[in-house]
Amino acid sequence: MAMCKDVVENIIGYIEAELDDKTLEELERHAGECPECQAFVRTYRRMLELCGKLRERTFVTPQIRRRLKDFLKSQTRSK
Amino acid sequence: MWETGFLRKIISTITGGKDSRESALSTSDEKLIETFINENNESAFEEIVSRYVDKIYGLALRITRNPNDAEEVLQDVFLTLAKKIDTFRGEAKFSSWLYRVTVNASYMHLRAERKHETDISLEDYVPYDENGTLMGRVASKDWSERPDKALFSKEAMEMIEKAVKELPESYRVVFHLRDIEGLSNEEVSEILGLSVAAVKSRLHRGRLFLRDKLSDYFYEWSR
Repeated sequence: MAMCKDVVENIIGYIEAELDDKTLEELERHAGECPECQAFVRTYRRMLELCGKLRERTFVTPQIRRRLKDFLKSQTRSK
Repeated sequence: MWETGFLRKIISTITGGKDSRESALSTSDEKLIETFINENNESAFEEIVSRYVDKIYGLALRITRNPNDAEEVLQDVFLTLAKKIDTFRGEAKFSSWLYRVTVNASYMHLRAERKHETDISLEDYVPYDENGTLMGRVASKDWSERPDKALFSKEAMEMIEKAVKELPESYRVVFHLRDIEGLSNEEVSEILGLSVAAVKSRLHRGRLFLRDKLSDYFYEWSR
C-alpha cells in the first residue's frame, strides 16, 4: 500500500508519465485520499510552470553587450 | 585565427546589427557550424552568437551568482567560441558543447577567484517525516491556487530567483539546465560529465528543496 513517501519519491515518473500501471494505480489510490499529497503534486506542477517562465527573462543589458564589443575589439588590437 | 573583418561581423551582431543573417534564422546549430567551418561563412557564425548570448550569460550567472563574474565568463566563452569553433567536430550537439564550455569557464572563474562554494549534499533531503507521511507539512501552505497574476508577477519571479539561488551549486546547475533551459537528462549528463542517474537524482532533490522554499516564501508573502 502506497504512502506519501512513495508519491514524493516517484513524483518525476508520475509527472512524466513513466510509471508502470501497477505503481501508478497504487499512488493514485493513495493520493486520491490524501489532501497532503494532492497539495504536494499541485504545488510541484505549479513550481515547474513558474520556473519555466524564468527562461523568458533576459539579463544581457545593452551595457553588457557594449562591454563585450569593447572586449573583442581589444582582442583584435592585441593580435 | 583572428581576422579583423570576421571579428567586426561578430561585434556587429552583438550590438544589434542584422546584415545578412535572415537566411540563417531557420537553420539548425549544427548546420550553421558546418557552413561556418567548411565555407568560412560569417553570417552563420553571427547567427550562432545571436542565439546564445542570453543562454551563455544566464548559465554563467546561475553558477557564479554574481553579475560581474558572469560577464567575465561571457567574454571568455565568446573568445573560446571564436578561437576554437573549428575544433567542434559534431560528436555532440553544438549546444551541449557550448554549454560545457560555459560550465567549465564558470567553474574555472570561481576557482581563480577562490569563490568556489563548499557544496552541500541534499541527497538526504526529504519533505516527509520519519514515518513517510506529509501530514501537516504541505496542504496548510498550498499556494497552487493563487491567481496567475500574482504568481507571475515581478515580485513572485524575484522570489523564485532567490529560491533557486539558495540551491547548492551542483543542484542549481542541473536544475537550470533541465527546468529552465529545458534540456533532456541525457544532454545535461553529457554537459556536466555525470551519469543520467546522477542527473535525475540531483534534479529530484533540488526540486524538492525548491518546492519547500517556494512554499515558505509564498506562505510568508500572503500573511
